[in-house]
Amino acid sequence: MEFLLNSIRKINNDQVKEHTFGTEQSLEDNLAICFINPKDFDKLNLVSSLHLKISNKEKHIIVKVKKDDNVPEGTVTMPVSIWSNQLSEVQNRELLYKNIVVKLEATREPVMKFKEIIQKLLVK
Amino acid sequence: MKRFTCSGCSLLCSDIIVKSDGLFVSEVIGACLKGKERFDQVSAQNRITNPMIRKDGELKEVSWDEAIKKATEIIKNSSIPLLYGFSNVTCEAQEAGIKLAQEINGFIDSNASICQGKFLNKAKNLGINLTTITEIINKGDLIILWGANPAETIPRLLNKVLFSRGKFRMTGREIKTLVIIDPIKTASFQVMGVRDLALIVEPNKDIDLIRMLKEECCSADSIPSEGVAGIDKDDLKRLLLHLTGAENGVIILGQGVIQPHSDYDLVEELLELLQMINERQEKGRISLLLMGGHFNMAGFDHVALSSFGAFGKLEFKNNQLVKTEDTLVSKIEEEDFDSSIIVGTDPISHLPYSLSSKLAKKPLILLDNHSTATSYIAEVVLPTAITGIESSGLAYRLDQVPVELNKIVNPPNNLPSDEELLNRLYGLLNKGGSE
Repeated sequence: MEFLLNSIRKINNDQVKEHTFGTEQSLEDNLAICFINPKDFDKLNLVSSLHLKISNKEKHIIVKVKKDDNVPEGTVTMPVSIWSNQLSEVQNRELLYKNIVVKLEATREPVMKFKEIIQKLLVK
Repeated sequence: MKRFTCSGCSLLCSDIIVKSDGLFVSEVIGACLKGKERFDQVSAQNRITNPMIRKDGELKEVSWDEAIKKATEIIKNSSIPLLYGFSNVTCEAQEAGIKLAQEINGFIDSNASICQGKFLNKAKNLGINLTTITEIINKGDLIILWGANPAETIPRLLNKVLFSRGKFRMTGREIKTLVIIDPIKTASFQVMGVRDLALIVEPNKDIDLIRMLKEECCSADSIPSEGVAGIDKDDLKRLLLHLTGAENGVIILGQGVIQPHSDYDLVEELLELLQMINERQEKGRISLLLMGGHFNMAGFDHVALSSFGAFGKLEFKNNQLVKTEDTLVSKIEEEDFDSSIIVGTDPISHLPYSLSSKLAKKPLILLDNHSTATSYIAEVVLPTAITGIESSGLAYRLDQVPVELNKIVNPPNNLPSDEELLNRLYGLLNKGGSE
């Protein structure tokens, strides 16, 4: 299903806090996560043990998913982090962090690890 | 117990009470969650207190001399260095960064260029007033949050501007109307009262709302009956009345409005709307406040302006400032750099993968006080003191007001401030690279 991805600042899912005080596990717990409207949660046949695969033209990530009444239908939000920025884009020399067209599907695959992303970046 | 200014975010609250013996901070009173976290960073488990360089693919702790030697080698071998960050450091450190960029013929830019800096130039050109926190507290009667969620980014901003009692009006929350325009019902909506206006705009439809307001700027009669951008007609009428009737209104703009669009410029359209309203207003005006998260995001533009008369990004060739159309994004996108010096920020986390992967390919020197995604890929990590707690200096608040930050305790291992470290690098490179 097609959705709009918005990366947003959330005080309880804050990357500076997690990098300063957290562990790799807490980074993943609090940042590799997305929020969708409960109606969309049902439409995607999600259950709490499943994860969400979010993909755009070039890349995909796998993150945990939580219901949030405050997120409008058709939108998925993620805290700003290295996970959400796998999907953010560059458009005419500007950075696009909001309303990025993505596809969502439920998956049993594990959440993408922080070290996995870093390892990819370290390959020069 | 003494009063200090908090460097937890760009609001720079100057009413924080700190109990300290000069060695440790034992109590912090009055800080918000972000401010409290800033003070906790002093003893955070991921604090970096020793310099590191990459050896055999892994970061290893080394002496300062070895780390500085490695950093200067990278810089000397680089012909087009990129310097970026500088919004979590003092103005003195920003000045030292610019001096270093000039010495090594680099391109220097701050986080503001991908955030509030975009508004500033355009607002100046159109003659839109930027306002101050004090002005809103004392005189404000309308506060509009547009694509901004201060409750989770600058937690005490609404406490100050919405709930404080004004000096001249002698009234507070009871006469201030809050309007929030956002596609998502953020935490800031929770402070809304019965006379406030919550407008959930459809995603990517802000432009329709702005264009309708521009057309109907003086009259509420011909608003389409079906509403605009998911907002119904009655709410639009109320919005128009507030915009045209406020004596001292302010629009607080967030990242939500800065997003690029292929066929229009939302920032320009919004600023034109403000210009129209202000021209037609008889007794009042609407001004702007730009939200920037990092504590000195506003400072870099002031320092660049006072040092070189240029706004924001600076590029040097033959130690002279040159005119450039390049931006931070174009420099990285086109890989027009061969090394980077990152100061107090985490671009590997906050830039899109298409850029962070290019940044990671070239040698990267990081100056920061705690671990980040960028520290995992850096060639050299140089730790610094925490500004506003372990070192002092000047910063510009989000409303462009300069505020002095003071030192409270000594840093661990006598860590240098960002300014000292950048000046040390400059001194070494100025002399050819050896101490």
